[in-house]
Amino acid sequence: MVYWLLFKKSFSRNMQYRLSHLINNAASAIFGFVYIAIWTGVLAGKEQKSPYSIMDMTYYMGASQCILWMTVFLTAGLGIQAGVRNGAISFELARPTNYFFYITSQEAGRIGYNALFRSLPIGLIFTFTVGFYTPEHFPAYVYTFLSVILAVGISLNIFYLIGISSCWTTEISWAHFINLTLMFSLGGQMVPLTFLPGPLSQVAGWLPFAGVVYYPVMIYLEKANSSVLLIQGGWLLFLLLLNQWITFLARQKIEIQGG
Amino acid sequence: MKLYIKLISASIRSRMQYKMNFIFSMVSYGVIMMIDFVLLAAILNRFDQIKGWNIYEVGVLYAISSISLSLYRTMAPEIHEFEKYMIEGEFDSLLIRPVSPLVLLLSKNLDLSRIGGVLQGLLILCLSLYGLSKEQQLVFLIAYLPVILVCGWLISFSLALFTATIAFWTQRIKDFQTFTLYAPFNAANYPMNIYPGWLKIIFFTVIPVAFMNYVPMLYLLHKGGSLYFLLLPAAVAGLFFCASLKFWNYGIKFYHSTGT
Repeated sequence: MVYWLLFKKSFSRNMQYRLSHLINNAASAIFGFVYIAIWTGVLAGKEQKSPYSIMDMTYYMGASQCILWMTVFLTAGLGIQAGVRNGAISFELARPTNYFFYITSQEAGRIGYNALFRSLPIGLIFTFTVGFYTPEHFPAYVYTFLSVILAVGISLNIFYLIGISSCWTTEISWAHFINLTLMFSLGGQMVPLTFLPGPLSQVAGWLPFAGVVYYPVMIYLEKANSSVLLIQGGWLLFLLLLNQWITFLARQKIEIQGG
Repeated sequence: MKLYIKLISASIRSRMQYKMNFIFSMVSYGVIMMIDFVLLAAILNRFDQIKGWNIYEVGVLYAISSISLSLYRTMAPEIHEFEKYMIEGEFDSLLIRPVSPLVLLLSKNLDLSRIGGVLQGLLILCLSLYGLSKEQQLVFLIAYLPVILVCGWLISFSLALFTATIAFWTQRIKDFQTFTLYAPFNAANYPMNIYPGWLKIIFFTVIPVAFMNYVPMLYLLHKGGSLYFLLLPAAVAGLFFCASLKFWNYGIKFYHSTGT
């Protein structure tokens, strides 16, 4: 199947840069240690004021650093904007494949690589330094797996949406930057949504950004029940349909010029 | 210097051809970077302080780190994007000109949109100083701020130049930048006493971001240390800057052009 082939090729292409990625993993781990240190400093002697203990936050930060490589650090606009600028998108849309799956299967290959060569080594670093949480109940493993798959799906769709918007805007760097900021802040990467001020904490839980970091981590830590999978699933379905429609509109808009 | 100013003014004029784009990007950078601090403020509002540092004191550290990095990103975008010169072989064109390649790189482009980050830092600095002014005299701190900012810029530029020089051997440096710039400057947003010993050793030696804000602020915010702490940032920044220039001049000898 062509999408599986694209997945494998993309995976292999990323294997070329394993050494530099290992260096980057060390930096990612340092980011994690910085956030763990912040929360340790903040909660020291004040754990009774917080719904989470220092160890909870240590595990939270470790897990979120791992999942970032599968859901947040994706290719800006999945590279669609480059095709729009140089005209290659007209050929890609003309291919007898679904454009959405053509693009996302390539990025999925990169995500698969990231899971093995980035998330896993970072997780091991945390395991051997500050420890890593082991869920007590078996269903947590199943729910975590499902939640991560849904998180990857939501993220791929958001990045695709930004990329395909370049058919109208050409330039997507600002949309990409704003998306990253929202994923970091409302996704709960540094601050769990519970700690966000007032109603923002409630609203953020219903937004797609919570589904890319916060929910997978909370399910893994057994601090959220499986019903949040419905929120993730709902967003994934909505974004999938939206992207199919936007792709249809983009197909109508593309003009091939030449002679 | 005359040539540098001439090249920079030409760069600014070219950027100002797209005024709306400039204003929009500058404001966006500033606002988005602000969100990070707002999250921190939300945590400290709930838990009062972090290892003895309140929100205003952390705000000063955060602002200095943020302004220093943004100033470097504004003034030296070509150093930051140096790997493209290696990958695309553009460095050849700099070597054949009768001016130092480093001066050419510094004068080639300005990323004015990063000024938004400087303004965001200045806003946080002003708010933090206003908050602190209710508790203590800040005349000495304010008078010393220009020195801190110059040292912060020098330290960030030197770290970036060290990283860029690595490209003469490795071609790609993006992954190194996360290690030498992004992670340390993120860490420098917060007081160093929260970090474990091995991280402190890194931030006080090989990547000396602690001297940019934490060390002088220990004395200026009456958290310990002596007057001698105010000399350290300039000494470390000067030393580090000279070392980075030496390393650049050494690395340039290993440049291999790309070709067909």
